[in-house]
Amino acid sequence: MTYTNSESKEVLLNPLTISRNENERVLIEPSINSIRLSIKIKQADEIERILCHKFTRFMMQRAESFIVLRRKPVPGYDISFLITNNITDTMLKHKIVDFIIQFMEEVDKEISEMKLSLNARARVVAESYLAAFNA
Amino acid sequence: MAPQVFPLAQIPVTSHAFNADRSQVAVSLNSNDVTIFHRQGAEWAAGETLAEHDKLITSIDWAPNTNRIVTSAQDRNAYVWNPTVDPTTGQTSWKPTLVLLRINRAATFVRWSPNEDKFAVASGARAIAICSFDPEGDWWVSRLLKKPIRSTVLSLDWHPNNVLLAAGSADMKARVLSAYIKDVDKRPSPTVWGEKLPFNTICAEYASHAGGWVHSVAFSPSGDALAFASHDSSISIAYPQHGPTAVHTIKLSVLPLVTLIWTREDEMIAAGHDCEPFVFRGGEQGWELAGSLDDHKHSGLSGSGAGKGVGSGVSPVGRLNSAAFNTFRNADTRGLSSMPGSPVSPSGGSTLGGSGSGESELFTVHQNTITEVRLYEGQIGAVNKVSTSGVDGKLVVWDVASVAPVSVGGLAGKLGGMRI
Amino acid sequence: MDVNFRKIDIDKYDEDVLLEDELYEADPRDPAQVLNDTRTKVNAVRSALSKGDTVGAITLVLDAAPYGASVEEAKNLNLQTLTSILNSTKASEIPSIVKSLSQDAQDTLMKYLYKGMALPGWGDVSGSVLLGWHEKLTEVAGTGCIVRAMTDRRIV
Repeated sequence: MTYTNSESKEVLLNPLTISRNENERVLIEPSINSIRLSIKIKQADEIERILCHKFTRFMMQRAESFIVLRRKPVPGYDISFLITNNITDTMLKHKIVDFIIQFMEEVDKEISEMKLSLNARARVVAESYLAAFNA
Repeated sequence: MAPQVFPLAQIPVTSHAFNADRSQVAVSLNSNDVTIFHRQGAEWAAGETLAEHDKLITSIDWAPNTNRIVTSAQDRNAYVWNPTVDPTTGQTSWKPTLVLLRINRAATFVRWSPNEDKFAVASGARAIAICSFDPEGDWWVSRLLKKPIRSTVLSLDWHPNNVLLAAGSADMKARVLSAYIKDVDKRPSPTVWGEKLPFNTICAEYASHAGGWVHSVAFSPSGDALAFASHDSSISIAYPQHGPTAVHTIKLSVLPLVTLIWTREDEMIAAGHDCEPFVFRGGEQGWELAGSLDDHKHSGLSGSGAGKGVGSGVSPVGRLNSAAFNTFRNADTRGLSSMPGSPVSPSGGSTLGGSGSGESELFTVHQNTITEVRLYEGQIGAVNKVSTSGVDGKLVVWDVASVAPVSVGGLAGKLGGMRI
Repeated sequence: MDVNFRKIDIDKYDEDVLLEDELYEADPRDPAQVLNDTRTKVNAVRSALSKGDTVGAITLVLDAAPYGASVEEAKNLNLQTLTSILNSTKASEIPSIVKSLSQDAQDTLMKYLYKGMALPGWGDVSGSVLLGWHEKLTEVAGTGCIVRAMTDRRIV
């Protein structure tokens, strides 16, 4: 809405960080006509790290379907959303909040499930491999 | 009396202005055009479209006595629209006149002066254009108020004396400036804002409490006090006769207010991102939040939410009473993760906007930010009804007398903080 | 065609633009004075704590908190003092403490909570402690308090 040039510092607000620890944090960067929200997803081990990377990359490659999703996250974070004044004009404010929370819960659940099935698969492979020696 | 709710559109109403007898309303539906709605019984029907701007319209004002409309837009222009009767058909249509504003950024706000012989246009060019009609040239000429504005001007309000102008801007200041035009105005009598008032005199300058953009400014009916709402979720009332630092500030526990109007010398209504019109009362001794025009208990909008544990009382944290917030809180504090609905599909984005699931409807009448509050019934200083327009596409008329107590946690009790 | 003119930063020649240090009014005190005041305050806080007066101690820390540029040492000292109180307060006491603070103190506390959560590597602050305080403070002071933490450029 408002014309902003690179020098108009007054239209940017203080960024806020919400975090439980170094590995689970949210960065909120507000301005007069948009807000960028970046999330660092909990990654407990190497498998979760790989899954998280693959999964968020998959999502971000389809960013145009999600409207609020950015193609590239802010450095240090796994996923970034950009909500502009145009988006808040066409979507209900509280529904956008709903969406992002639901989205993140799904991502979390998806990663856990993928990890479980990966582990289960590893077990099956190991069992059938070892079965050859038991015979 | 319950508020009258008119869903005008599914798109945001950026600005609205009624004609004198309230039989018509000019609105901009987040587009380049103005649509004039006519009252038809209990409904509003869309009528003539005023199409001349080629960027988004930001503000509309309708002069009650001269029956002229002025519009401002992001195309850096303003148009004055005159009703013209076609001699052959007898039909009235609106004829535009372009106003040369001489600004190089978007025009953000426009208001007729009380005498309707001038209007002021706020802009992103760190300037305000004061426009008056030049009968010789048969056009509107503009003079710019520039100093000491340092950022986009977001709102304006005229003093009842037709000379002084209040401006709120993104440089976090509310100012009172002189918009005296020699050929239009008589020498104004002295006011609490000053005695000699040549063009561009800076009569007062107030900073917002905690660095918020000043979204809205308004003189009290007498013109002796100035109220402004800023993005730091505060509302301030200045009484210049008690010195430049005589300012009462109320810090709110809700989201920022963006529009305000005085209903009486001791009462104001302000609304914004929290989707409901709040009522403030006070005077030179101090101000406090008196309540809300939106009575959540009787609005009947909490219905569908109640079953999901959302409706049990108003959430203590302002508007954060959506189903998702509660789901999130349950997941966070109790480890519950019962997600309603299906997993997010790539089409998830498109379901965001619609009324969709309905499980997280707000308790308020407006379902999104209120963009503008206006005088609907009564006179300046004795307002009976106000109208609000919202990003949810609704136009609502409220009875000023039916004030519901505010039950939002933390709001009551801790208010009226004075900063003198 | 020569298009180099497009690379000229015309905003540089804009005189009316608001500069970073004009976004807030600087502390009228001299940086050395600020540090001195903060040190004096820390002692007063300790004596309040030794009497078990947590509310008094927090009020002291949050009052006239150092902000802005060139007072980093005073800022760190004040933050350390505050976090030690936050860490040692029982969770059950937080709601009543938060309620008894003035609105200005609540706003300043919110700024410190976000500052704490933004600190890299955490130092000696526990994230869940800050989140616990944040939750209780938001219940009392609402979203308005959070918005003021965003708008107020007097960064602690």
